[in-house]
Amino acid sequence: MEALHIIGEEHQSLAAILHAIRFMLKEIAAGKLEADLKLFQAMVHYLDAYAEKRHHPKEDLLFRRLPQRTAEGAEALVKLGLQHAAAPQRMAALEQALANYVADNSRFDEFARAFDAYAEFYREHMMLEEDVVLPLLRTHLTADDWTELDAAFRAEMQAKSGKDGKEEDFSALFSRLVDCAPAPIGFGPRPFAN
Amino acid sequence: MSGKVLVVKDLSVAYGKVEAVSKISLEVGEGKIVTVIGPNGAGKTTTLSAIMGLLPSSGHVAFDGCIEQVPEVERMVVRGMNLVPEKRELFGTMTIEDNLLLGAFQRNRHGHRDHLETMEEVYALFPRLKERRLQQVGTMSGGERQMLAVGRALMAKPKLLMLDEPSLGLAPLIVREIFRIISELRRRGVSILLVEQNARAALQVADYAYVLENGAVKMQGEAEMLRNDPRVIESYLGLASKHQEMLAT
Repeated sequence: MEALHIIGEEHQSLAAILHAIRFMLKEIAAGKLEADLKLFQAMVHYLDAYAEKRHHPKEDLLFRRLPQRTAEGAEALVKLGLQHAAAPQRMAALEQALANYVADNSRFDEFARAFDAYAEFYREHMMLEEDVVLPLLRTHLTADDWTELDAAFRAEMQAKSGKDGKEEDFSALFSRLVDCAPAPIGFGPRPFAN
Repeated sequence: MSGKVLVVKDLSVAYGKVEAVSKISLEVGEGKIVTVIGPNGAGKTTTLSAIMGLLPSSGHVAFDGCIEQVPEVERMVVRGMNLVPEKRELFGTMTIEDNLLLGAFQRNRHGHRDHLETMEEVYALFPRLKERRLQQVGTMSGGERQMLAVGRALMAKPKLLMLDEPSLGLAPLIVREIFRIISELRRRGVSILLVEQNARAALQVADYAYVLENGAVKMQGEAEMLRNDPRVIESYLGLASKHQEMLAT
């Protein structure tokens, strides 16, 4: 069940970025932190690109196997499928709110509200996966299913690690985000440079 | 005992008449990460302290092939065991570099003169520490202190690194980074015994796990098996823990 392990790892990374953005927004609103707009842009990019390019395609591959083994969880799968399909529009709204804030810092509240909406949605999305779908996968998929899925996940992790320069290296990006994020959520603050 | 850097058998620790740890047996394979998870007060820190020789205990501790009748902390450090304590125990008025050098004290005292080379290895793993090497530790953030505590332990070139709650009090972003570094240490051949309340993070990185409750081992197995065990999920990875983690967002 290495595939479940990988999905869990990715959820933790995405949840950590959401936590970091929320912390920084609160600190900025309280006048305790100066905004690093490039850091916000990099974190939102991580949420977008990592989820879209790496995470959701693997989930789609995994979740497709469930209806072949059980009718349970059908409603949740439909909901998750729609949520994955609508992800680009949802992210576009967040990115637009951030672009507006970058252009005009009086629009901070607009970005903070857009982020809250996104974070709340994404938290519920991950919880639905972890509370409903992943337990059903554990219960109903066969050993052969796991052999096949684990191999596919391993291949994806290797091909898209970014270590060969062909794909974005999200692991390195994550480390840079930790390095620049202000204490106590990160090792910074230090300006994020592209 | 081949391939095992640590073998603990029937380890018991008592505080007065109260037995805090009762006949625990555990093993750490070479180059593996073994985690001990369990609720607060289960005896996790007590177990580490006893193995390290910081607390009197009964039972057997065999480290790197030799049985330690009575583990003594200085000898354990010299032999290649090191502990990063929960409270990190750094010297706040000293610089980062001086704290690192103290980590090599026992090794240096026994004739090894490779501390500068080792410090460069630590700096390569934690570039942040190199940048701030002359900074006083008292001015560091919690995440940086955890990095330094791990770095100081690495200065002793340990065969076995024992980490007591490395994620305690740290934000999710830093926790992810600390666990990435723990994985990197395994890749470099360091064997690790990891005590954690954050069971989810610990089981994600570990090869093998023990579940400790009320001072005794209640379950053990490959980390992958425990990650998918309904009892572990319900008690340690279930709704409450996931909500706690994701509500932090």
